[in-house]
Amino acid sequence: MIDGLSVLCFAGTYGLALVSDLARFAVRSASRGWMTLGLMALAWTVQTVYLANRAHESGTLPLTTPFESLLVLSWLLGAIGLYLVARAPKAAVGVFVLPVVVGLLAAAGALSNRAAWLDTRGAASFWGTVHGLLLLAGELCSCVAFVTGLMYLIQSRRLKHKRPASRFLPLPSLEQSERVNRAAITLAFPLLTAGLFTGVALVILLRGKSAVQIGWGDPKVISTIAAWLASGVLLHARFRPEMRGRRVMILTLLSFAFMVFTLIGMDLFRLPTAHGRKTAANPPAKSLAGESEAHGGSTS
Amino acid sequence: MKLSVVGLDHRRAPAGVRESIAFDGPKLAEGLGHFARKFEGSEFVILSTCNRVEIFAAGEAETIPSTGAIINTLAHFHEISAESFEEHLFDEHDEAAVGRLFRVASSLESLVLGEGQILGQVRDAYQVAVREKTVGPILHAVFQSALRVGKRVREETGLDEGKLSIASVAVDLARDIFDTFHDKTVLVIGAGKMADLTLQHLRSLEPGRITIINRSLERAAAAAERWGGKAEPFDRLNLALIEADLVVSTTAAPEPIVSLDQYVRIQRARRHRLALILDIAIPRDFDERIGDLEQVMLYNVDDLQAQTQANRKRRESGIGPATEIIERETAACLATLRHQRHAGVVLRRLGEYADAVRTRELESLYARCPNLTETDRQAIAHTLHRFQNQFLHHPRAALRTAAAEPVEEHPHPLLAAVRRLFGLDDL
Repeated sequence: MIDGLSVLCFAGTYGLALVSDLARFAVRSASRGWMTLGLMALAWTVQTVYLANRAHESGTLPLTTPFESLLVLSWLLGAIGLYLVARAPKAAVGVFVLPVVVGLLAAAGALSNRAAWLDTRGAASFWGTVHGLLLLAGELCSCVAFVTGLMYLIQSRRLKHKRPASRFLPLPSLEQSERVNRAAITLAFPLLTAGLFTGVALVILLRGKSAVQIGWGDPKVISTIAAWLASGVLLHARFRPEMRGRRVMILTLLSFAFMVFTLIGMDLFRLPTAHGRKTAANPPAKSLAGESEAHGGSTS
Repeated sequence: MKLSVVGLDHRRAPAGVRESIAFDGPKLAEGLGHFARKFEGSEFVILSTCNRVEIFAAGEAETIPSTGAIINTLAHFHEISAESFEEHLFDEHDEAAVGRLFRVASSLESLVLGEGQILGQVRDAYQVAVREKTVGPILHAVFQSALRVGKRVREETGLDEGKLSIASVAVDLARDIFDTFHDKTVLVIGAGKMADLTLQHLRSLEPGRITIINRSLERAAAAAERWGGKAEPFDRLNLALIEADLVVSTTAAPEPIVSLDQYVRIQRARRHRLALILDIAIPRDFDERIGDLEQVMLYNVDDLQAQTQANRKRRESGIGPATEIIERETAACLATLRHQRHAGVVLRRLGEYADAVRTRELESLYARCPNLTETDRQAIAHTLHRFQNQFLHHPRAALRTAAAEPVEEHPHPLLAAVRRLFGLDDL
């Protein structure tokens, strides 16, 4: 209940910041920009306090549940958005970043299960945290790539159709969006790969120590591998000159869709996954570790 | 309190007439001094630019110069006949004069709607007048409001957004596509006037390299020298296009000089980097299908012209909202001025009333106590004076604050209340 209320506090404030930024289409005033910035700063500060409190109470990084993971992801993206809005209050960054932040928080509040991924200590706990951090960084890069890709596509469409720049929606140059997008794509794949491998290593480490087992046929595993492959295809495209521009940006959006499905698809569609459950939801045909022992490791 | 403006602008007077009464350079300070000496007790600001000469005057009804007096002084200062410019002049008074200044500062009276220079020129004119000490409380308030209103109008109406010339639109397009220019190459095909004009604007982007290609290498070399670029012979066009990020084509060739197939190969060699091609030649130099290629933005002269038209319309759509802001701000400015002046009168009368009561009571006390020593009398007088100041401190501060509020109601309710409470109307 307290979790829900607190999430509602800062998610609502981010939502108000989004409304304030969307008001740029109707209200032209410097004070509107300052209001957006102020609301974002307030929401981010409350979220920071909330996460710090959770970390203090649990004595570990707040990455032990899918719920916390989404909160931290939205917090990091919120920090990037806040920095960009403070740096250029007139630019329409908030219009693109805030819906993702609010969406992640809504998913965290409404969908994510709050059971701890790991109930182990020692090395497994350490590798679990590394696994979580790597995937989180990869997911953050995917979010940044998505936002810049979207901005690129809108700006590119306008320029191709030879329309004048919108006074309501000032966007960064194509080159700037492309540069940030390329950097995010380049970082996302190795981080997701490392996160995936540490997840597999964790499964091996926990062999015989956990009551839950995850098989290759687990929807979470399939979607994670699909998201990872999509990220790989995107990285490949990013290095092919003939794919530059719109094609890479469209692939970025697709890759982001895979990632979103991996993050919230299990909860949203109530798919029977053993990942993140304390008991096996659906016994797999073949164990990921090749053994019958269950585990509580995470691959995403 | 009176306020007036007498002047002429590009709409009413030809350039020759504007020049004849302009206050260029040191003449501005001299002119202000001339007016201030001739009409002591009045305030003056002179706004003199290439498109307008406007003299703002303010003061009490009995001291402020009439329009005729300003015209005569203007003619006398410039040593010309008043008849030579009088017919082109306009004059506005009080609310209309304030509105006029706000419209000028907001660029509604400018030759190019939404231009940004005028706000700086209004600021300069005000600062010179401040330096020459020809500004008093009225023009201080009015000009500070004008600077704020000019900024507000631009922020809230988008009156200054979107460029109105083809070359400026080209620069904006380049900024929408590229983030940095020090690492970019600008290629200009052709070395005529259009190439020069476009380069003049593109130079503001500070590109890393400028290459000029022309069928006549000599003309290309001459243009390259003018713009700090390098000249290339026409047969190196493909190589130059491979290197270039931003292309400006201005040749007079009767057929396109770059075909689709040719540019497809060029783009492959460029490894599909972003390219902006501004084909401002008529007939066009680039096959229009090149614009359909990924990572290539091709704009011809019609596209650029369409953008300038769209920008012009967009600016014009801001006139209505800008006028509304100006009307509201004019009313608020005048209300504040009236309140401030009224507050000044009320504060003065309040002080006089308190002084009168204190003096009367002191005299009464001294009469009743003739044995008081001079030291005692001074101590009592000093104490009463301190009491009076402390007693009136908060009412005075509240009156000053109320005077700064843009309340339309006149007199301000608080000022009216103080007058009634202390019976100041009877003084």
